[in-house]
Amino acid sequence: MSFLIVYIFTMDQHSINSLVNNFILPGHKNVQSISVGLFQECVITKRILTLVEYQQNYGLLVINRCDNSIEKSKQLTVDFVLPIDDRFKCEFGSSGINTGAGENIIAKIIHGKDKFIVELKYTENNRHFFTEVNKAQDVFLCKTNSSFDWLYRSYDCAAPSNLDERLSSNIAQKPYIKEEMNSSTKNTKNNNEFTSSSETLNTLLSNHPNTGITLSTSTAHGKESDRNGSGKIGKSSFYVNEIESPDDLSNIPRDIVAMGGASLAARETNIRLKMAMLEDQFMELKSFNLFIGSWNVNGQNCSVSLGENWLACDPSPPDIYAIGFQELDLSKEAFVFNDSTREEEWLQACTLSLHPGAIYVKVKLVRLIGMMLIVFVKRELEEHISNVAAETVGTGILGKMGNKGGVAIRFDFYNTSMCFVNSHLAAHVEEYERRNQDYNDICNRMIFSQFKPPKYIKDHDQVYWFGDLNYRLMDLNRDQVKRMLEEKAFDELLKHDQLRDQWRLKRIFHNFKEGPIKHPPTYKYDPGTDNWDSSEKNRPPAWCDRCLWRGDSIALLDYRSHARLKLSDHKPISALFESSVKVKNPTKFRKVYEEVMKKMDKIENEFLPQVSVDQSEINFGRVTFRESVQRYLSIANTGQVPVRFEFIQKPNEVRFCKPWLQIQPYESTIKPGDKLDVELKVYVDIESAQKLNSGLEEIYDILVLHLDGGKDLFIEIKGSYKPSSFGSSIETLVRLKIPIDEMPANEYHELQQKGEFSSAPVSWGIPKEIWLLVDHLFKYGLMQEDLFQQPGLDTHFQTIREGLDKGSLEGFTASIHSVAEALLIFLEALAEPLIPHSLYSRALENYHNFIACKQVINEMRDTHRRVFYYLISFMRELLRHSKYNNLDNKMLASIFGDIILRAPQQAQPNQKGNHQNNIQEIEKKKAGFIHHFLVNDFDP
Amino acid sequence: MSKDYDHLFKLLIIGDSGVGKSSLLLRFADDTFSGNYITTIGVDFKIKTLEVDGQKIKLQIWDTAGQERFRTITATYYRGTHGVIVVYDVSNGDTFANVKRWLHEIDQNCEDVCRILVGNKNDDPNLKVVLTQDAQRFADQMGIELYETSAKENVNVEEMFMAITRMVLRSKKEKEQRQQQSQDNAIRLQKGSAHKGKKNKCC
Repeated sequence: MSFLIVYIFTMDQHSINSLVNNFILPGHKNVQSISVGLFQECVITKRILTLVEYQQNYGLLVINRCDNSIEKSKQLTVDFVLPIDDRFKCEFGSSGINTGAGENIIAKIIHGKDKFIVELKYTENNRHFFTEVNKAQDVFLCKTNSSFDWLYRSYDCAAPSNLDERLSSNIAQKPYIKEEMNSSTKNTKNNNEFTSSSETLNTLLSNHPNTGITLSTSTAHGKESDRNGSGKIGKSSFYVNEIESPDDLSNIPRDIVAMGGASLAARETNIRLKMAMLEDQFMELKSFNLFIGSWNVNGQNCSVSLGENWLACDPSPPDIYAIGFQELDLSKEAFVFNDSTREEEWLQACTLSLHPGAIYVKVKLVRLIGMMLIVFVKRELEEHISNVAAETVGTGILGKMGNKGGVAIRFDFYNTSMCFVNSHLAAHVEEYERRNQDYNDICNRMIFSQFKPPKYIKDHDQVYWFGDLNYRLMDLNRDQVKRMLEEKAFDELLKHDQLRDQWRLKRIFHNFKEGPIKHPPTYKYDPGTDNWDSSEKNRPPAWCDRCLWRGDSIALLDYRSHARLKLSDHKPISALFESSVKVKNPTKFRKVYEEVMKKMDKIENEFLPQVSVDQSEINFGRVTFRESVQRYLSIANTGQVPVRFEFIQKPNEVRFCKPWLQIQPYESTIKPGDKLDVELKVYVDIESAQKLNSGLEEIYDILVLHLDGGKDLFIEIKGSYKPSSFGSSIETLVRLKIPIDEMPANEYHELQQKGEFSSAPVSWGIPKEIWLLVDHLFKYGLMQEDLFQQPGLDTHFQTIREGLDKGSLEGFTASIHSVAEALLIFLEALAEPLIPHSLYSRALENYHNFIACKQVINEMRDTHRRVFYYLISFMRELLRHSKYNNLDNKMLASIFGDIILRAPQQAQPNQKGNHQNNIQEIEKKKAGFIHHFLVNDFDP
Repeated sequence: MSKDYDHLFKLLIIGDSGVGKSSLLLRFADDTFSGNYITTIGVDFKIKTLEVDGQKIKLQIWDTAGQERFRTITATYYRGTHGVIVVYDVSNGDTFANVKRWLHEIDQNCEDVCRILVGNKNDDPNLKVVLTQDAQRFADQMGIELYETSAKENVNVEEMFMAITRMVLRSKKEKEQRQQQSQDNAIRLQKGSAHKGKKNKCC
């Protein structure tokens, strides 16, 4: 009973590429295209995600593809256009929501306020796509003159007509005006857009290969005539609403689902995605204090307390510590084997020096040669830290060794992801390019690969990057620097800071921030003193040791150096932050979750198959023998999904309906909005007539109309059966004083049930009806060619039946063949065969023995015997005219034998193997039995 | 992909025609009520997800036609049912009188099923003819819990469904426990006999 989970990514890479290449404008480059599932409300539809490039500007297109169109490029329409700029973000899942389940991963693609979610397979190819997207983002960040004019112009079909104007006026400062455009058009154009979009969708999807439905396609072609992507899909209907009431189900693209063009997403996926989208409603910000420390210790032993002078210098204890060291160990062992005794020594020193106002536990320690990073957290907060991981990247000798590079620790704190990077970049004033390179290498190579997809530094909500970044002051000599320092002209000096310069040029630390520097340079001192380097090298002072951050809701409280620690030629620094993290409010979460569940239930219920029928009771009125009456039941699919229905069997019944009822079709599929008329036909044949005549059965049935995966409807079938002489018994007929039509039904039923034991006196020697038929044939049919061998007419039969049931055949018009056939049907329909069931076997056993056959006849009741001899004498009369009617004794024996001798139900041959032989054998015996009486003289 | 529920239970709503079976279901599953009476001719169901004691429970609730003439057919829908909700109309004495027959119907078609008795349309004291104490006495006699509800006014509906769900959940847990126990016993027995066998060999 779960939602459909049929979701297949079918297209291969090659065909996607060729489709997209045909679609995009010349000069634009299809960097890569992949197949994804676009999540809209509760439905996943297939889309192509294309990274398109033009003059080093990148954009993302969400392309809707439809099969079965004539010209390939026209099959594609664009749902979304997103420029890859600094408001572009691609998240793999949201914190707190596990997105790694199953083999598909979920990506949240965000641009400003617009966001959408796609589901994709976790393959090499798809991973590569997002690597390319990352690169595109980096390209944007390094560019100064980005323009997305081309992108909107070429692909954004939902853009209003004044786009050009807006673009030209805004593009210079603000290349991303889309969001404003959307919101302004949403209200005014919504109606139109929605209609046109659903029309288009309808039409496009009408040719979906799974359904094979073909509707009119004129709308689609009309709209898609312009190659510049004007196949218009109202994008407002695709964007995920931030605030949704659980009752608002209007965004579900029902028509698509109805046509089989999309499937309902698996319920669990749905809930996950919905919760991710509604995160803002149950996440609250809670702030915590973070202490970031960094110190290049120049390979010194730790001989002093780090507490009051550095780690515990603030009045209140921080919640989290991230402490980075550089040049922890300059020994060869450390370099060659990455093995150091200093690690334990400095860890101990730190542990002992943490703020005494709280108890801390170590979250993680990571070290690469001289770079070490330790994270501590208050013990009571440890439980809120999860998914801890650490990585190292060496960028030193050969670009790989660990003398330079970075170490990082990441984790989720409540529902916010944090990453701490401690790095030691290349030294020397002139090597700033090298430092930039190191920075970029760390960004690209610091991969937390245990995650799926792997996480990079930039994938974190909050990043704290610190260490000996080694950027120096440029264009100033040592003396100038020192003089300015004496004047405390820090701001003036910082204008020469390489880090800030490179940052301004967008070479490094995109989107990172650094606090105002109010402390003197942290390098280079004579160890043990506060004096500037007086060694031979005489390095000019510089702010080598820094701390930067990236992310929302981070407030810097303090940024300082700690001059009292004099072990090293660097001074330690620290930055104190008040950072807000997302904390799940359990009550709100519960509430949102329950609403989502409610909504899911509602959708699930709504997507159950639904039909309505025009009547739940079908009355056939009066029906009679061998007269077919039709009625129609109209089944309308009033639900959202195609319905397969079937009339199903009820308990203790052999079929789904009574034998006198026929249903056509008894199973079928109806598309939403469609109707199907089911024909119900009552036709009472001989077998049914016998039962209905007895009154033990009636024209009544309850049909169970079952919807596959849904409910069952009951359809009542009603009618009344008009008793007929056909299907009556000889015993009844000979006791009928008045025509059957004038007989009250209950009296008739009683006669029919009691038969020979009825108290009613026998009024006729043989049934009047038989006499009427035979007499008619005797009068008009003896000379008729091929009598009993030509079929009669149904209409004639009904006239004859009516006449017989009224008690007279006067003035009726029917061919002689119809009368002959009516006689045969009459005999066949007799409720008890002329040769009673009790004598059936004996009759067959003795078919070769005339005496024995006569004995059988003699044992019959008078009524039956009289009818038998009456018929025999009629047949003998017929044979006297065989010259004209072409009858011979064998033929007559065969025709009448089969209806006069009828096997009791249970004795009917049913062995499949020699079924045919058996039947022939039995027919031979039946004919043989009659034959005696036609050819031999006998005394009745 | 994890399953979206821990338990899937099938509930069945039975009772005379017109007592408000469909309304109860509609109120519970969709939180709606329609004053227009539409006879259920057939069996319909809706799903509803609940969380009871931290466990996700998916209910498939079947609503049956109450008419006498459909009785033999509706009886087939009892199969696989975990809980049956027997509904009468507090403003209609006949429907209460028929509860016995419905309970009998359950006995004939299910074994080991949870039952709950529901007096619906409990929203107009002037129309109420089946008094709570009478119904309660009867319920006690039959060993079945009684809930008086109003689908129209949304009174006690959620509580009633929660109650039967808890009942079903409890009964499932008990059954599992019993099974576990008998399994343990079987193992113990086996161990015992094995031990004996060994002993015999030694002798």
